[in-house]
Amino acid sequence: MKFAPALLIVCGLAMNLAHAESIPPEKVKEKAATCAACHGADGNSDTPAQSQYPRLAGQYHDYLARALHEYKSGERKNPIMAGMAAPLSEAEIDALSRYFAAMPGKLDDLSKHEQGN
Amino acid sequence: MTRPLLACALTILAATSATSTFAADAASKGDVKAGKALVYTCGGCHGVTGYMNAYPNYHVPRIAGQNYDYLVAALTEYKTGQRSHPTMRAQGESLSDEDIKNIAAYLSSIAK
Repeated sequence: MKFAPALLIVCGLAMNLAHAESIPPEKVKEKAATCAACHGADGNSDTPAQSQYPRLAGQYHDYLARALHEYKSGERKNPIMAGMAAPLSEAEIDALSRYFAAMPGKLDDLSKHEQGN
Repeated sequence: MTRPLLACALTILAATSATSTFAADAASKGDVKAGKALVYTCGGCHGVTGYMNAYPNYHVPRIAGQNYDYLVAALTEYKTGQRSHPTMRAQGESLSDEDIKNIAAYLSSIAK
């Protein structure tokens, strides 16, 4: 009984892993193709018309996942992204976030740049 | 006689409109140098590699190299309260529209 909470956590973690692993890479790539229209196939939203959309490549995966969750719940309001995020499962959000985070991108750590005057 | 004159007039017209377009673009796009000074404040969270947002926990996003128009939209949404995040709301409220453009100009200029 004493171990019940720990057991629950372990089971929860195992389920999480099972979830994340349930989407094969080619399926993730297929899903990500939808994002490409605005965020670019390489996740860099690189054309002048795409300047209104954020670059995803190289962004932290947990920030991307957070954004998708907020779009899905309606906490963050954007008509396009609400429609995109609504049908995504937890596993899909996790997989897509990791997919774009792992791409080489133009985003950089601010710490590498001199700040102020 | 009319041909060279016309060509000349067209050239001048083209040159002036090109200049004014450039000037308008530069004026509306924000100033990189002014933005760099303002970004000093952002460094407290965004300038610490791996810094985490608390409750809920997630990495504070990388903003260096992000797209100009997106940055302007994001900061404006924080300013108006359309996008909610307590810290960013407060930051947004302290910024003028001009400040926002300047910050976006600097951050987008340092893409990898």
